[in-house]
Amino acid sequence: MAPKRNAREPTPSSTATAQSSSPASVPSVSSKASHKSSSNQSPQQIALGIWQNYLDMTPQRTKLIDVFMAFLVVVGGLQFVYCVIAGNYPFNAFLSGFSATVGQFVLTASLRIQTNAENKADFGEVSPERAFADYVFGSLILHFFCVNFIN
Amino acid sequence: MRWLLSFLLLGLLSVVHAVSSSGNKLLVVLEELADKAKYSKYLADLESRGFKTTIESPKAEKIALFELGERAYDHLLLLPAKSKGLGPNLTPKLLLDFINAGGNILLTLDSTHPTPSALVSLLLELDIHLPTDRNALVVDHFNFDTLSAAEKHDVVLVPRPDALRPDVKNFFKGDGKGGEVIAFPRGVGQTLGNTSPLLTPILRAPRTAYSYNPKDDVDGVEDPFAVGTQLSLITTMQARNSARFTVIGAAEMLEDAWFDAKVKRSVGMGGVGSDAKQVKTSNQAFVKEVTGWTFNEIGVLKVGKIEHYLNEVGVKSNVTNPKIYRVKNDVTYNIELSEWSWDHWEAFTPPTGDVVQLEFSMLSPFHRLPLKVASTTKTSTTYTTSFKLPDQHGIFNFKVNYKRPFFSNVEEKNTVTVRHFAHDEWPRSWVISGAWPWIAGIGVTVTGWVAFVALWLWSKPVPLKLTTSGRKIQ
Repeated sequence: MAPKRNAREPTPSSTATAQSSSPASVPSVSSKASHKSSSNQSPQQIALGIWQNYLDMTPQRTKLIDVFMAFLVVVGGLQFVYCVIAGNYPFNAFLSGFSATVGQFVLTASLRIQTNAENKADFGEVSPERAFADYVFGSLILHFFCVNFIN
Repeated sequence: MRWLLSFLLLGLLSVVHAVSSSGNKLLVVLEELADKAKYSKYLADLESRGFKTTIESPKAEKIALFELGERAYDHLLLLPAKSKGLGPNLTPKLLLDFINAGGNILLTLDSTHPTPSALVSLLLELDIHLPTDRNALVVDHFNFDTLSAAEKHDVVLVPRPDALRPDVKNFFKGDGKGGEVIAFPRGVGQTLGNTSPLLTPILRAPRTAYSYNPKDDVDGVEDPFAVGTQLSLITTMQARNSARFTVIGAAEMLEDAWFDAKVKRSVGMGGVGSDAKQVKTSNQAFVKEVTGWTFNEIGVLKVGKIEHYLNEVGVKSNVTNPKIYRVKNDVTYNIELSEWSWDHWEAFTPPTGDVVQLEFSMLSPFHRLPLKVASTTKTSTTYTTSFKLPDQHGIFNFKVNYKRPFFSNVEEKNTVTVRHFAHDEWPRSWVISGAWPWIAGIGVTVTGWVAFVALWLWSKPVPLKLTTSGRKIQ
């Protein structure tokens, strides 16, 4: 999980930085880092560098979101594996359990997009507080539906 | 004196009561009223059983099967006529209308009088075929009466008939001791079409009998109309409305002369009956059974109370015959059946090897279940079965479709709606152990979310600026 996220992480940030909006100093740092890594390093070192980069560059709240999303992926994966192995007998139960996790993942992902400082250009009118309130509201509705559907 | 009179009245009442289950108005069609004397015993038998007989000639003006569109008689007995037709009041169409209206017909044929073409066409319509020679009669060189037909062999002696199949009740076996002999003098044999399920022969000819025309002056019979058991001597047809139609091949069977005639059988195949003695025919008893069956005195079934109700976990519901059930309900069905036997209703029991069945059907049966005896009274038997309704909603019928030879038809249909589960009738998720992992999935997700939200609210947002500056420092 971690390497995947790492692999995904730096690219949007680098593109976002390339697009501007953040201080001009940031691209220079990242380009410096990439230059460093591309010169003569083993893949392990590259991965480690990326990971370090992620730890350094990501705000603490975004990291919290990432941890929660990883947790949801694990829970959803477990449910799906159980369904494949043990069968889907109360199918509504499987649907509601699995979709609760998936839906929560999707909502959390949108929270992550909306609260990311680097997406401020796209969500200028949505403050992080507003995004969080929307997120809580949406999640409560999702939980209500899932609990009802599992009966 | 007065009590004597009342006793007499009571006795009269019981005589009147002892009658067919479907009315006692009987029309006897007889061409020559003088011939009435020939059938005096038979007609007296009928009257003693409570039939109100009206004897009319087919030529009479006022003879009519229907009056103001309603059946004027319950039963009709056609004795052979000398004339070629039966007149405008007894056309085949009228006779069929009479059957369709629920009337019973007993038709007698005779080889000495050619059968009127009206009757031949009526029989053809019912898939009963008569020999093309109008004078053909049934002869048997191995089972004839040596006293009356030593020369012509045209009085065929037949034992009492066996049951049609092992699982069909035999109404015509007499006292069942065997050794009884029925004389079938100069009769017309019939053959039956294969396609009609309504036809049932009561009496078949012996193996060695054949149909033959005495007017043909040939030594050997070539290509006979029918031989052996192909020939039906007495045939019945029970229509779908349970109206009964019987053809007796030999009208002479009903005559007084043959009621108490003594007969002695010939030597049969393989020397059977070489030591036969003179015996009295059992025509009277046998003809009584055939007539009684035709005129609804025996073999009539009646459906009494029909009940179905919810019977969940052995607890009987107080509501009987509800209009609606739910899928997978446990349901009990009861039906009460009686059989008319000469002068009273008695408890109906199907013959051994036969069962009354219940169908639970929507277009096609979803269940076909044997009905078991629940209780018996003097006049009826209650059959019951309990079952779980199928997992299919729709409009269903409880259907008892009991159609057997010699029994009147029972076809009872009770329509109910079967609905699906209401939303609050499903088992709750925690009752099904298979759902527990996914309940846990929701629980973990929600708990994780609550923890996440708590952490989010608790953590202090770190401005992005600081991070970039820190990075800058680094």
